[in-house]
Amino acid sequence: MKKDIYIFNGGRLVRKDNTLLFESVEGKKYIPVNNIESIYIFGEVDINKSLLEFLCTNEIVLHFYNYYEYYVGSFYPRECLNSGFVTLRQSEFYIDYVKRLFIAKQFINGSAKNIIQVLRYYNSRNADLSQEIEEILQTLELLNSQETIEQLMAIEGNIREKYYKCFNKIISDKAFTYTSRSKRPPKDKINSLISFGNSILYTIVLSQIYQTNLDPRIGYLHSTNNRRFSLNLDLAEIFKPIIVDRSIFSVINKKIITSKDFNKDLGGIILKDEGRMKFVKELNDKLETTIKHPSLENKVSYKRLIRLEAYKLQKHITEGEVYEPFIARW
Amino acid sequence: MFVILVYDFGEKRVGKALKICRKYLTWVQNSVFEGEITEGNLKKLKIELTKKMEKSEDSIILYTFNNTRYTHKEIIGIEKNAPTVFL
Repeated sequence: MKKDIYIFNGGRLVRKDNTLLFESVEGKKYIPVNNIESIYIFGEVDINKSLLEFLCTNEIVLHFYNYYEYYVGSFYPRECLNSGFVTLRQSEFYIDYVKRLFIAKQFINGSAKNIIQVLRYYNSRNADLSQEIEEILQTLELLNSQETIEQLMAIEGNIREKYYKCFNKIISDKAFTYTSRSKRPPKDKINSLISFGNSILYTIVLSQIYQTNLDPRIGYLHSTNNRRFSLNLDLAEIFKPIIVDRSIFSVINKKIITSKDFNKDLGGIILKDEGRMKFVKELNDKLETTIKHPSLENKVSYKRLIRLEAYKLQKHITEGEVYEPFIARW
Repeated sequence: MFVILVYDFGEKRVGKALKICRKYLTWVQNSVFEGEITEGNLKKLKIELTKKMEKSEDSIILYTFNNTRYTHKEIIGIEKNAPTVFL
């Protein structure tokens, strides 16, 4: 399993002796290029063209975040897995509204079912969430009768709003009370964690899509318009509850991140450098955790699970194998 | 799989071995590397190294583990390079 590298310090990332070298005030650090899938840059890092060329030949995706933890952009190397056939089929499934609607519904279906799975887990532990679970299930039943993407989005928004309200019962620390979802900038600590976690997940999914024949610009739930990438947003929906939200619960409930890790800035609340690092660490641990895959009869990591999801979608559009979203069973 | 690689190369070739190993594994100490590696990459690494080595003078030792669950790593004195993905 290839690893991801997260750079928080400032320095220079260069190509040296056919591998990667990160130079900072703390010294030189060589990174084995053959074992890297993508690099996340949070610090102030200098980069030159020869490095980008080198990353391109090694198919490594680079993601940039700015000082305020906002996603800036990605260096998405030349497609290494080109398939005109898949791109054509992908567009066909976008243009045909019925086919598009089906895929979009599957994404929401998967997302909601994973949400319920997360809630059920906490319901059996310390929080009483049976009523919320019931409500979400009822909303989900309306899904099949919807006829436009906008209606689907409305249902999804509805479920998410109910779901985020449950956070207050799951998280014991009162400093992390959820009131309403706020973005750009997030107005409180919990929103700040949700936004940061989601934006990282989007890029993780993007890196995984890069390893497949799919084109990340053609999404189904999130419409393909002038946005750069949208398929990664779609696939991320399924994994948000089981990867990001679970990481949020564990960093707060285990007191890895406390109120001290936040700063008031830009008219909102953002994570400090150290808090950011702790949260990314937790996310990375989660991604590298392996589970027994139900149909592969093999152990796979959460990160690989995202790639498998992309493969399933690819099979759906090329081979007509009906796409079923991944639903956690625990 | 997890690999610990130790090499002892002649002065002329030792630099070359270092550079090859850096592409695949994490340097932990002079002439010692460790890290996760795929079977394919390990094969590549071996081929690259054997091309540069002088079989009558140099030597490479490879310890491979399916996983690190039953191993324990202890460092006495300074840790020269902690393997980490957070920089």
